[in-house]
Amino acid sequence: MNFEAVIGLEIHVEMKTKSKMFSPAPVTYGAAPNSATTPLDLAHPGTMPTLNRQAVVYAIRLCHALHLDIDRELWFDRKNYFYSDLPKGYQITQNDRPIGKNGYLDVKSGPGMRRIAINRLHLEEDTAMQHHYRDYTLLDYNRAGIPLVEIVSEPDIRTGAEAADYVERIRSIVTFADVSTGKMEEGSLRCDVNISLRPVGADKFGTKVEVKNINSINNVAKAVDFEIKRQTQVLLSGAAVIQETRRFDDSLKETVSMRLKTDAVDYKYFTEPNLVPIRLSEQFVAEAIAGCPELAEAKYDRYIRQIGLSEYDANMLIASRETCQYFDALVADGSNPKLAANWLNGDIAGYLNKSNLTIDDFPIDPSRMAGLLKMIETGTISNKQGRDIFEKMLTEDTAADVMAERLGLRQISDIDALRTVVAEVIAANQQSVADYLQGKERAFGYIVGQVMKKTGGKANPGLASQLVKEALSHR
Amino acid sequence: MAYLDLTIHEIHEALVAGKTTPRELAAEAIKRACEDQNNAFELIIDQDAMAIAESLAEPEPDNLLWGIPYVAKDNFSTKGYPTTASSNSLNGYVPLFDATVIAKLKQRKAILIGKMALDELAMGGTGTTGHRGTTYNPHDPRHERMIGGSSAGSAAAVAAAIVPFALGSDTGDSVRKPAGYAGLVGYKPSWGRISRYGLFAFAPSLDHVGVLARSVSDAAAIVEAIAGHDDLDATSAMIANPKGLPQLEGDVRGLRVAVIGEIVNSPHHPIIKSKFEEILKGLTEAGAVVERVHMRRDLLDAIYPIYITISCAEATSNDANLDGIKFGPSFWGDTYEQAMLKARTNGFSELIKRRFIIGSFALMRENRDMLFVRAQKGRRLIVEALNEIYKTHDLIIVPAAPNVAPRFVDGSDKLSEEYLIADNHLVLGNFAGLPSMTVPIGLKDGLPFGLNVMGRAFEEATVVNAALAVERLTGLKNLRAEGGVAR
Amino acid sequence: MDKITISMLKKAAKAILLDMSASEYEVLAQEFDILLRQMDLIGNIKGIDDTVPMTFPFEAATSWMRPDEPVPPEPASDILKNAGTTLADQIKVPKVVG
Repeated sequence: MNFEAVIGLEIHVEMKTKSKMFSPAPVTYGAAPNSATTPLDLAHPGTMPTLNRQAVVYAIRLCHALHLDIDRELWFDRKNYFYSDLPKGYQITQNDRPIGKNGYLDVKSGPGMRRIAINRLHLEEDTAMQHHYRDYTLLDYNRAGIPLVEIVSEPDIRTGAEAADYVERIRSIVTFADVSTGKMEEGSLRCDVNISLRPVGADKFGTKVEVKNINSINNVAKAVDFEIKRQTQVLLSGAAVIQETRRFDDSLKETVSMRLKTDAVDYKYFTEPNLVPIRLSEQFVAEAIAGCPELAEAKYDRYIRQIGLSEYDANMLIASRETCQYFDALVADGSNPKLAANWLNGDIAGYLNKSNLTIDDFPIDPSRMAGLLKMIETGTISNKQGRDIFEKMLTEDTAADVMAERLGLRQISDIDALRTVVAEVIAANQQSVADYLQGKERAFGYIVGQVMKKTGGKANPGLASQLVKEALSHR
Repeated sequence: MAYLDLTIHEIHEALVAGKTTPRELAAEAIKRACEDQNNAFELIIDQDAMAIAESLAEPEPDNLLWGIPYVAKDNFSTKGYPTTASSNSLNGYVPLFDATVIAKLKQRKAILIGKMALDELAMGGTGTTGHRGTTYNPHDPRHERMIGGSSAGSAAAVAAAIVPFALGSDTGDSVRKPAGYAGLVGYKPSWGRISRYGLFAFAPSLDHVGVLARSVSDAAAIVEAIAGHDDLDATSAMIANPKGLPQLEGDVRGLRVAVIGEIVNSPHHPIIKSKFEEILKGLTEAGAVVERVHMRRDLLDAIYPIYITISCAEATSNDANLDGIKFGPSFWGDTYEQAMLKARTNGFSELIKRRFIIGSFALMRENRDMLFVRAQKGRRLIVEALNEIYKTHDLIIVPAAPNVAPRFVDGSDKLSEEYLIADNHLVLGNFAGLPSMTVPIGLKDGLPFGLNVMGRAFEEATVVNAALAVERLTGLKNLRAEGGVAR
Repeated sequence: MDKITISMLKKAAKAILLDMSASEYEVLAQEFDILLRQMDLIGNIKGIDDTVPMTFPFEAATSWMRPDEPVPPEPASDILKNAGTTLADQIKVPKVVG
């Protein structure tokens, strides 16, 4: 019996506004406990919610990127339940009228793509943080009320790889749109998986299992793959899959039962009476969309079509918004795009990986780097010399040309001077010349190498090569 | 001369003329507060009030509220002063911020001298369910009569001339009903006119801030001072506030008044009824056009159940924050749920618990459509019916209550079969968010009764005008209970 | 609507973290009987099911939204002043499981 996996993802994204969703308290990360709250965040009586304009702008950006229909009137609902991290005893969310509806995202599926329908994107607020100890729990309300969007897909996903790609693309969108830091390991991007199996070709859904606590995109695929395997085994053994919530155990790389899903909780939804409906003008929506920074997909197209990068280079760059920003800054500063891409994806990436840093912590800012690239591009220094200067620039805040001066690393590009050297080398290496003229290509490289050696490595290799060729062709 | 016995306008004149000072007024108000026999106070603010009063040296002729003492219902957040909403679940709670209206009055140099008892969490209409027990009607020194609620203490303080005005809140009639029983002007403008930020929410879609005073122009003046859009209250109206209403002439010529026949014809004490008709006649003679209109019986009969359903449902949700964790008496337990359960079980009175369970029940998935959603549908039909009336009429005028203040032995907070339309129609003003004012029109055996004027949303001027006309007809201005003698 | 039983009321109470004494449940049960009959009056309204529910007193939509400017927060010591038990600037509650 062949089963197909029916997978839907619920993703929560923390938005990087300056103030909270319904409260003007500051949004902070890692601040001292309860140091960034106001009475509203602790649900003091008499406090009232007000909608954060920028959160709506951000949500509109995401709706647009995910091809969702954007509701021009915002209504909010109360989701009522009791929990220690929920100060009001309800969460303000959008149950009946999400800001975005009926969109899609295309994800990699095998060699092709699959379109995953997106049911909704809605605005809501985050809960307080809890720190659990042996006999008690401590509550920190800094996070309570931070703006969230929830993105709910239809159960169109079929494999762990598709699921991971879906999450990665969402991560890319929210980071490039500058809406969120999109870090699963920090909790600014959270993913819950709903997964069931059914016989291939069947219409009816199987029993759904919810998987939570997935803290990386890799683990999304692992969790899904494990669940598919587990549920397959259960079904093949003749048993029924139990409807439950499981958590992904990062060390075991398995899903573990967390709690049985009893009757779905009754949230007693009703329209939030303290927030009158908010009308979004066409201009507001248009400006929100227009104000969205270039997303990865558009950058990719632009890098390939307009700038002429290779697919490989473009793909490497768009893995991170910050890398693209760095690249765009280099290009804006006049750097040769191909050279810039090479360095970013090569030496710079190598350095960052080795030092466990991100491009944001990279000690050479784009304008200093552009200076270095300029020198290489004009032949003032060789690529190798560039590397030496690069090493120094990592620890010293000096401009590239100044560093080149200091190190005495100027590429010799003076044609006359080089011609002289070439002539000298040729004169001193008659055997190699003879070998070359007899067809031994390697002798050519040897002669060029000698030119480089004689100039202490400073000769412009391209020019040296050209001049050697010229000189030898006269023979 | 006890200037404190006068209206705000009169006190203001005396202050400007130097005949009295804020210190004198505050001292007298505090003295009367301490001598209060009606169990009206949750808290008397004396030292700070005197300090403020003493700091006010130069009278401000253009500031009507300068140096005027007042009280606020204890469901308004007051920074630094315990605020309990007369519920044990909030014992010891000291707010960190002032409600917007409190801040506005502070800015205008009015002087807060007390927080007043209410029906617990504002969910009641008898003034008997607050955690300090019953508040009495100053018009009955034998303490046999209620003052109504939920703004019981606020009404009692104004009726007893402890202060010339008080802040209250009105969700179903909680300012306008006690006003009637206490011979006061009880005024609630349109929904959204006055910021509710800092008013402990009972049922936000019905809640209004209201004012109790002893004259129409006083009430209008206070509302003018505290109304206005507030960025902290997303439901506060952007519509500009009318100015100069206290100075209106009470000109009702051409005003089209609707009297809802079904309400007036429901059982009222004959004295109330005849006085009411007398006033209508007086208005007609002053140029108004008074007409009986009809409102569907099925709608009127449903007013009370619709109100109970919607208000209890919203209240259950609003008061889910009362869990003893962030504020209020806290308890420990084996689990957080137990801790919350203990706090809530201990903190709420029987009545409130029953109301919450009713609210919760109405919202439960299996009941929601039949109970809660249906009630919201009924609300729409009622509001539509009112709007129909307002297509051809400017005001609706009805008696505020069918009788004078009931005796305690006769009333009860248990839901009963009797859903007297006459007792519950004031909530029409909450369903539709309409400006509504109760004005005293007479006395029966020394106990006051009033009528209610209700206009279209945001047409406060029309309401104030008509109320001024009624006040002129009755001459009942500045009615105070002094030793049971209404003056 | 089905007859209201005490156990239904207990369930509704438990759902909102309340408990009452047996006699209070009795009173409530009686109130419920009356209440549900009263709520039938809503059902009696002609055309009740042909309309849509109303949350707000009137059409109250706005286009105003709060600008994204944070306000100064309360110091932790103040914001926790009203809390029962605190530890390390956080509110302490019994261990929360699940």
